Amino acid sequence: MPPRIQTQRVSNSVLPYLSSTSSTPASSCTSLPPSSTSCPHRTFSSTSAAQTRLRSHMFEWLNSEGRKLRYHEPNVYKYVTNLRDLAKDTVPPEQLSKRPFPLNQNFVSEPILSEEMREEIYKRVAQDKKSVRAVSIELKVDMRRVAAVVRLMEMEKGWRTQGKPLALPYSRAIQEMVPTTRYSPDPRNQRPHESINDLPVHRLTDPQIFYPVSESRQFTRVDAGRVFSGAPRLPNSTVDEITNDPSSSISRATQNPHLIERVGKGDQETQVLQPADARIPHPYLVAHERDSIKKPHERGENIKRFSSRLQEEERAEAERRQAAEERREKKTAKVNPEDSRFEFRFTDVVVSKETTGADGRGHRAPGRRYGVPSYERKKGEVKIPTRVNV
Amino acid sequence: MVVRIRLSRFGNKHQPFYNICVSQARSARDSKPLEVIGTYNPLPQRPTNLSTEQARNARPYKEVALDRSRAKYWLGVGAQPSDGVWKLLSLAGLAEKTKTKTEGSE
Repeated sequence: MPPRIQTQRVSNSVLPYLSSTSSTPASSCTSLPPSSTSCPHRTFSSTSAAQTRLRSHMFEWLNSEGRKLRYHEPNVYKYVTNLRDLAKDTVPPEQLSKRPFPLNQNFVSEPILSEEMREEIYKRVAQDKKSVRAVSIELKVDMRRVAAVVRLMEMEKGWRTQGKPLALPYSRAIQEMVPTTRYSPDPRNQRPHESINDLPVHRLTDPQIFYPVSESRQFTRVDAGRVFSGAPRLPNSTVDEITNDPSSSISRATQNPHLIERVGKGDQETQVLQPADARIPHPYLVAHERDSIKKPHERGENIKRFSSRLQEEERAEAERRQAAEERREKKTAKVNPEDSRFEFRFTDVVVSKETTGADGRGHRAPGRRYGVPSYERKKGEVKIPTRVNV
Repeated sequence: MVVRIRLSRFGNKHQPFYNICVSQARSARDSKPLEVIGTYNPLPQRPTNLSTEQARNARPYKEVALDRSRAKYWLGVGAQPSDGVWKLLSLAGLAEKTKTKTEGSE
C-alpha cells in the first residue's frame, strides 16, 4: 500500500474548495508579509505550528529570491542553482549551471536540439540528399538522433498538411526551459551536441582474460580482439601490414564486413572481434586525426583525403544495402490474388539435415519448435557423459 | 493411413501462427509431425520503410515461408494438402487453382 497523505492536514490547505466547515478560522496567511500577492487561500488550515512556520518561510522565499523563477524567459533556463547568477543579470545564458538540483550535483540536464538545428538536419538529409553519416559529422549529432529527427520532421510535415493539431506551445515551453544546442552557420563554431563516436560494449569483451605475452611481441588492439574471440594469432606479415597502414586495414574491415574472418563451429560461429577503431560509428575520423598529426601542414589535403574516405564508406554502405535488398527480393515471391485484399509473400526456406540438425531442432530450419520431454530426473537414466566437446 | 500436409497452430491467443507440416492424418493437430516444411502467418503485416504516399496505397501482406522442393516431394509421394494448405500451395504455383475431388478419394 502506498504511503497515505495525511488528509486532515493537507486537504484544507491544498484544496480550499473541499474545505469543510469544521476548521479553525485561523489563517497562516497572517504570518506572511502583507505585500504578498501569491498567498493561497488558506482560511481553514489546521496545520501544526512547525509546518506553518516552514510554509511561511517558503512563501517568503517565493516572494523574494524565488520571484525570479516565476516566469520563464526564452533561452534562459532558470534553475534554483542559478539564482545568484540570475540576480546579477550579467552572466550569459550559455554559462549558467546545468545542474537543476542543488542537492544532487550528479544530475546534469542534457541539452536538446533547437528548432533551427532540427530544421537544418532535415534540410541537409531530405533536401540536399546528404547521408546521415555526413550530417552527423558536420553537425556533431549522433547518427541515430539524425535519423530520428528526419523521421519526426517528416511526420510533423505530414501532420501539418493534413491539418492535424500540433502541441506547439508545449514544444516552445520545453525549448525555452532546458538548455538547447543552437545551429551555427559557420561549421567551425558549431558546438558538439553530444559525443558521436562512442564505442558500444561488445559481449565478447566482458570476461577478464589473463593472456601472457612475451615482451618482445607488439600486442595491439587487433591482437586483443583475436584473443577475446579465441582466434589464432595473425602471421607476422599480416601484422606488419596492419602496423604500416592501420587506416586502410580498418577501412577494409568496415567496408567489407563479409570478408572478416570467422571462428567457431556451427551455431557458435562468430566474426573475429575487430579492434575498437573499426567498431566505432565514424572510423574515418580516427584516420583523419592520424593524418593531421602526421602531416600537420597539409590541412587542405587532409580534409580532401577525409572526404574521399567518407564517400568511399558511404558508397560501400549503399552497395551493401542494395545487395541485401536484392538478395531479399530474390528469395521472396510476391503473389497478389485478385479475390483477396492481401498480398502473399512466399519466402524460400530450406528443410534439410543441415538446417534441422541431428535432433531436428536447429534454429535455421523453418517453423516454431516442438517441446521435447526432459529425462533429466528419470529413474535409471545414465548421466555419465560418453564424449566431451572440446 | 494418409499423410497430409496441414497447418498446426502455434502462437498465443489472438495471435495465430501456423507451421505448415507433413504428418499422419489421424494424429493430433499440434503433435510432432513427420516434417515441418514452412510457416504461415495469417495476421496481415503493414509494409514499412515507404514514403507517405506509397504507404497509403500499399497492400498489407501475409507472410508464408515454404520449402518448395520438399512440398513438391511430399505431393509427389501422395501427401494430401488440407484445404487451407491447398490454397497456399496454389498461390505458390504448386497445386491446381481449385481442389477437385479425384476418383479415388472420399
